[in-house]
Amino acid sequence: MKQFAEQFKAIVGDKNVITSKAEMAPYGIDRTTLWQPNPSLVVRPDSIEQVQQIVLLANQHNIPLVPSGGRTGLSGGAVAKDGEVVVTLERMKRILHYSAPDQTVTCEAGVITQHLQQFAEQQGLFYPVDFASSGSSHIGGNVATNAGGIRVLRYGGTREQVLGLKVVTGNGDILDLNRGLVKNNCGPDLRHLFIGSEGILGFICEVTVRLQPPPPPQSVMVVSARAITDLLEVFQCSRKTVTLSAFEFIAQQAMDAVTAHTGQHSPFKNTSTTPAPCYGLLEFDTPNKANTITDFFAQCQQQGWIDDAVISQSERQSKELWQLRENVSESLSPHKPLKHDVAVRMEKLPEFIARMEVKLAEEFPQLQSVWFGHLGDGNIHLNVLKPEGWSEQRFGELATEVSGLVYRLVWEMGGSISAEHGVGLLKQRILGRQVAGTEVKHWLAARNSFDAHSVMNRGKVI
Amino acid sequence: MKILVAVKRVVDYNVKVRAKADGSAVDLANVKMAINPFCEIAVEEAVRLKEKGIASEVVVVSLGPQAAQEQIRTALALGADRGILVQAEGDLEPLAIAKCLKKICDDEQPGMVLLGKQAIDGDNNQTGQMLAALTGFAQATFASVITVEEGSAKVTREIDGGLQTLSIKLPAIVTADLRLNEPRYASLPNIMKAKKKQLDTVTPADLGVDPAARTKLLKVEPPAERKAGIKVADVAQLVDKLKNEAKVI
Ligand SMILES: Cc1cc2nc3c(=O)[nH]c(=O)nc-3n(C[C@H](O)[C@H](O)[C@H](O)COP(=O)(O)OP(=O)(O)OC[C@H]3O[C@@H](n4cnc5c(N)ncnc54)[C@H](O)[C@@H]3O)c2cc1C
Ligand SMILES: Cc1cc2nc3c(=O)[nH]c(=O)nc-3n(C[C@H](O)[C@H](O)[C@H](O)COP(=O)(O)OP(=O)(O)OC[C@H]3O[C@@H](n4cnc5c(N)ncnc54)[C@H](O)[C@@H]3O)c2cc1C
Repeated sequence: MKQFAEQFKAIVGDKNVITSKAEMAPYGIDRTTLWQPNPSLVVRPDSIEQVQQIVLLANQHNIPLVPSGGRTGLSGGAVAKDGEVVVTLERMKRILHYSAPDQTVTCEAGVITQHLQQFAEQQGLFYPVDFASSGSSHIGGNVATNAGGIRVLRYGGTREQVLGLKVVTGNGDILDLNRGLVKNNCGPDLRHLFIGSEGILGFICEVTVRLQPPPPPQSVMVVSARAITDLLEVFQCSRKTVTLSAFEFIAQQAMDAVTAHTGQHSPFKNTSTTPAPCYGLLEFDTPNKANTITDFFAQCQQQGWIDDAVISQSERQSKELWQLRENVSESLSPHKPLKHDVAVRMEKLPEFIARMEVKLAEEFPQLQSVWFGHLGDGNIHLNVLKPEGWSEQRFGELATEVSGLVYRLVWEMGGSISAEHGVGLLKQRILGRQVAGTEVKHWLAARNSFDAHSVMNRGKVI
Repeated sequence: MKILVAVKRVVDYNVKVRAKADGSAVDLANVKMAINPFCEIAVEEAVRLKEKGIASEVVVVSLGPQAAQEQIRTALALGADRGILVQAEGDLEPLAIAKCLKKICDDEQPGMVLLGKQAIDGDNNQTGQMLAALTGFAQATFASVITVEEGSAKVTREIDGGLQTLSIKLPAIVTADLRLNEPRYASLPNIMKAKKKQLDTVTPADLGVDPAARTKLLKVEPPAERKAGIKVADVAQLVDKLKNEAKVI
């Protein structure tokens, strides 16, 4: 592919085509570490027209392209391992238009998620999609992965924010999808096909999102419960009582891992003596009436759903309590866990967890599993830990079998094998061969329609 | 020994405050309020002294609007025994607060008064010191360690560039610094218990204090916006700009 460097330079300018190995090192990868990055070139366009020319050139010479956002993905979608040309939209980071009457902002795809949040704040508004990597991820990457995060329960994921997209398809067409309108019933809505498409249909180049009024002050409460079924009762009850922003779930082992790893105290250090099997973290609008929360707690306690609870009295305490949830992933990383980001409907959640635990215990009694996640979205992160003393290789040999077991049950129970991190390279096989059934045929047809020569993210997703 | 703790209701430390458009005050509409962080540390310390059997009773006092009851209830949930609200609207100055506290000290006869070293709203850092002068009690400010002994206390103070340990006679005024302890969370069972604890309301007039302000707030304005950064081409240009434009080297 290197032979095309000159032609790419003619499109984006000499200094925006990177050819040296050293300078390419940060590109062609994401936060997965399973594949060796090996891009042949990195191209940095500055406008949608340049993106279009890049795509047309790629079609002419059968050059495989990999779209790159902030490269914080967790499924290998932005990985270039087979000598592809990486196209990064990092220079396309302009905020193009703010409309006060529409409460929308239109920006280029390379705008960093956090910058969009800050821009909204400057207008006295709020962009609600947020997660631990939002300081690096791009809005284009968020759209391409339909990123979720910590407030999906209240505001939905990225999909729910998007009112318009300008894309360059894999064939090189520029499409202006939904044009920022609230109402538009002119045929099937292709915007939604591009949201979550992980770069296999084309480049997302401009995004129009809606902004929200900023939420009132929030309180964070952590409850200790005996079982996940009880937490689900608390969830239903809390929904009727307060305006929830988040309802998260941390199993005992996850909480232990966090307190051991970070040195942070358990919130129940001064109150409970016996640890609980699971914890729920609720974030909600601080109620006006002081009794709202105590009545809610009393009710949950009387029903026997929860034993104890703490509530933040300041933003600092809210942040600290959130850290108990946000640090789980990092705290488990020394155990080299096999991660599963799955979802089932809320009503199936207790049965799913119970059956999964039985199956895992039967077939892999030597492995320990840890549960946590966005309970309010039915999204569970199931991590299976590498046993102490095992080599990574020995553990790795079980990976396919363990994950196969997990994904089969998820699918059988009507769930999703990738709730928020996408498919990319990581789950491509499983998705196509094991679970998705006849939908795949239509995905392939759509892909073929937008990208006839398959220049976009070849070998990913399906 | 009875411990008296003063707590102030302030805008939450993590809230970005905005000035009102007319510059007359900080905009408090729809803003999260909390116990002043240093006061929260003072409450925690008092509760720990009680848990160790050193304090027999912890009484919290707040001076402020009716809504400051919330902060007293929080302190009661953290483990204080009884609350007193000195209800007064408007901005209270440190001297008026110290005079009210002096009167409460006369009535309650505490062995120690714990306060935050300063409140993060006015940043005055005066109330503890003024109270010490009014009561004639010993004082130790900026405490990071408190050890109570027979009739006295050892207090380690955070001072510029190091630590200083004092021995002071009781009764004493001690103001809490950031590293004194890490306050606990309020648990719901304790919040429920706190509802039943005694909370008395008095006014500055009841205490014989005139709370009228002696200073007048003229204007509140946000800090100047930081200028946008620039990108330099190389080290030579950076050095040149630091030398000739910023004049810092
Ligand atoms: C610490 C951490 C926490 C995270 N938490 C969450 C979370 O809570 N919820 C969640 O959903 N995700 C989470 N993620 C995953 C990740 O941050 C999101 O998937 C994010 O949206 C990826 O954005 P990005 O710009 O980094 O995309 P990249 O990683 O660069 O790309 C992701 C995919 O999108 C494609 N792509 C990127 N830009 C474009 C474009 N302009 N046009 C077309 N295709 C494009 C890429 O080819 C790739 O397939 C987390 C990641 C980390 C590291
Ligand atoms: C007084 C009045 C007020 C109205 N106000 C509004 C309004 O405020 N907002 C608004 O959006 N619309 C409004 N409409 C229009 C209309 O009611 C809506 O479009 C409604 O959704 C049509 O539903 P229907 O079952 O009558 O569909 P039909 O008229 O029977 O069909 C509409 C279309 O959908 C197709 N279709 C119907 N059922 C199916 C199916 N099961 N699967 C696949 N295709 C199907 C039909 O082939 C047709 O193309 C109004 C109409 C009237 C008469």
